[in-house]
Amino acid sequence: MTEARKNSLTDKLVIIVWIIALIIVWEIGASVVEKTKRSPQNVLPHLSQIVESVFSDKMVSNKQTAFQIVITNAGITLLRAGIGFLYGAGAGFLLALAMHRFITVEKATFPYLMMIQMIPILGMAPIVLAITQDINKSRIIIAAILTFYPVATNMLDGLKSVEKEKYDLMRSLAASNWNIYTKLLIPTSIPYIFSGLKIAAPMAITASILVDTLQGGAGLGTMLSQSLKHAMSIYVFWQIVFFSATVGILSYKLMSFAEKIFSPHERAKGAR
Amino acid sequence: MDKHNRSRLSSVVLPLLLGLAVIILWQSQLLHRMIDADTFTLPLPGRIFNIIVENIGKILINMKATVTVALGGLLMGSLLGYLLAIIASAFPKWGTGGLAVVSSFNAIPIIAIAPILNNLTKDFSRDPNVRSMLAKTLVVMITCTVSMSVNAYRGFTELKPFSEDLMKSFAASKGTIFLKLKVPNSVPYIFTALRVSVPASVISAMVSEYFAEYIIGVGRQIRENIVLAQYATAWAYIVAAIVIGVTMYLILLAVERASMKGRP
Amino acid sequence: MANANETEINIKGLCVNFPDKDNGGDIQALKDVNLAIKEGSFVSLLGPSGCGKTTLLRSIADLQDISSGIISVKGKTPKETRLSQQYGIVFQSPVLYEWRTVRRNICMPMEVIGLPKEERTRRVDEVLELVGLTEFGRKYPHQLSGGMQQRVGIARALALDPEILLMDEPFSALDEFTKEKLQIDLLSIWQKTKKTILFVTHNIQESVFLSDDVVVLSPHPGRVSAVVNIGLKRPRDLAIRETAEFAALVSKVRHSFEGIYE
Repeated sequence: MTEARKNSLTDKLVIIVWIIALIIVWEIGASVVEKTKRSPQNVLPHLSQIVESVFSDKMVSNKQTAFQIVITNAGITLLRAGIGFLYGAGAGFLLALAMHRFITVEKATFPYLMMIQMIPILGMAPIVLAITQDINKSRIIIAAILTFYPVATNMLDGLKSVEKEKYDLMRSLAASNWNIYTKLLIPTSIPYIFSGLKIAAPMAITASILVDTLQGGAGLGTMLSQSLKHAMSIYVFWQIVFFSATVGILSYKLMSFAEKIFSPHERAKGAR
Repeated sequence: MDKHNRSRLSSVVLPLLLGLAVIILWQSQLLHRMIDADTFTLPLPGRIFNIIVENIGKILINMKATVTVALGGLLMGSLLGYLLAIIASAFPKWGTGGLAVVSSFNAIPIIAIAPILNNLTKDFSRDPNVRSMLAKTLVVMITCTVSMSVNAYRGFTELKPFSEDLMKSFAASKGTIFLKLKVPNSVPYIFTALRVSVPASVISAMVSEYFAEYIIGVGRQIRENIVLAQYATAWAYIVAAIVIGVTMYLILLAVERASMKGRP
Repeated sequence: MANANETEINIKGLCVNFPDKDNGGDIQALKDVNLAIKEGSFVSLLGPSGCGKTTLLRSIADLQDISSGIISVKGKTPKETRLSQQYGIVFQSPVLYEWRTVRRNICMPMEVIGLPKEERTRRVDEVLELVGLTEFGRKYPHQLSGGMQQRVGIARALALDPEILLMDEPFSALDEFTKEKLQIDLLSIWQKTKKTILFVTHNIQESVFLSDDVVVLSPHPGRVSAVVNIGLKRPRDLAIRETAEFAALVSKVRHSFEGIYE
């Protein structure tokens, strides 16, 4: 076994040990809560109880088990998060290009772009819902705004990171603007775009779940609130907690995976 | 010289013109036609301003509640994160993996954390205001811990080449290396973390207010007023939230500039 | 000396000024430069930093606006020459596109001017062989050593078969052993392709070893202080560096700097 492979194996082992340690801490906490609180499942149930509820075929509401509720509502929420994410990424991409191409656009919009970062956009979700009167549109708009900012700023950084010599080379070839953008500027900014997308993906999901909680109907957030109000089994809540955490982490991993597809030289680096 | 000044002037004038254009569109109700809204849900700027003036006392109380939670959580979370980073850098083999697990917490939606903490802190105090405060502060703390621990750890480990070798050549102790080399080296990384966690602390504070038992805070007021269909008041609180976010970020930038003097 | 006698690049009264940000005036980067470069010759632009050698190269390449004077490349302006893709440029760093393989890096100029695919493949094979990298076409830049990366840069500059090769301190970031190897290889490429080469360097030995003529530039303001003809026999090998003739030429070049070595 090579030294490098041995190291990466130890790294994986360390992470597994940490996860096991976290599980132990959780279980100790759950045991304490079990003895001291009146309704322990509301505060901190055992992990085994949560897992059990996933596979339980007990109907919780509307002829659905707890897990079926989570899955069907997740589809509704995540689809909107995804659409908003794509719109936001597209808009961020175009604005970064415009800011790079036209100094006037950059100067006029840059302070506002910075402000989006400082403004609690999630706090504005209720008003977006009030204006659009449509829960789906609100999910999409909020997810799009949250995606838009990291993509635009990161891509602008990427466009600005292009070395002067690479421009000189393009100029010495009398390359057209189209060539300069497609062969130099956009490929250079791809890793930067992906660092923006990696920040944005979990945020878009959080945003979409939050918007759910603002209105009845369907969606992960709605089920989460209802479960908290004891309108249905509390285990729906616990399942949503773990489900949304997993999806959040997976969305990040998905972006890392997409990045590898778009940058073959990074793959070559890993294989070396 | 002349060209330089003109360029600086345009970076002030152009954004102002854009902002003015939006306000004119808004006040003249052209904006409403563009996004198909009415003056009831999207009140005119003048009306929002009047509401702010009339309710300034109440708005300030709610702003104070939100800022207290945000700053308290930010402080606790950042200290805890820095401490975790110190421990992790003392035991790098276990620390790196531990921080990788911690950083995956970043992807967990705040909405999932807030209700758990509400339940956990129920027996902390008889006063719902106090126990809500604690729950909200803990939510903010968790969001701020992650970015500080990950960044500070980088600050302790990403040293200039040979700088640690140099210290060792003086026979410096581990403690001295930590205080004289690693801590100063981590300063820029602390600000990198704060640039993420300062805005995040305001957002987490507002979102955790949604789930809190006691009704107070800018975020909660936006929601409550919309439920009551008092849209103009909700907008007044949105302005308050923007003021909090922008002010805290600008203060951070000022502190960063002051403490990074002399660094490249 | 190379065999051709026709003048390739003719420079008369060239001045380049940069705006000075500190006091609002101008800095004279180049002052009254006059130079004639023969077709097929290997000419070095030699001088310390700040003498304007890179500015001179960039002016010829039409990457730098000039303040006054005339640059003519076989009767055409630098811009016309650039637009007809007659310049191949090699920089100090290889400036490769890290997301493209070696082959696709070399292809890039040909994609820009829209050559058909078979033509591109044929030429890539040709220049890869010329720089001795035939087996490395499928690698990514980060998988190659610094010297090999610079060879890819040279191959890319040769891909469009330009009249003139402009090289801006191409070997200054390489270690001494790699540098010597690349110098020998560059001379053999030059002999095979008969290009006119303009080579910017701050290394006296290097300029003497490679060139037909060494143009000595002095700073503040940047100007030509001497042109030293190097009459060493061709083809040259590393052994020539140990001859008395070589040492005499190095010392002649060194003494032609005004006020620097006094």
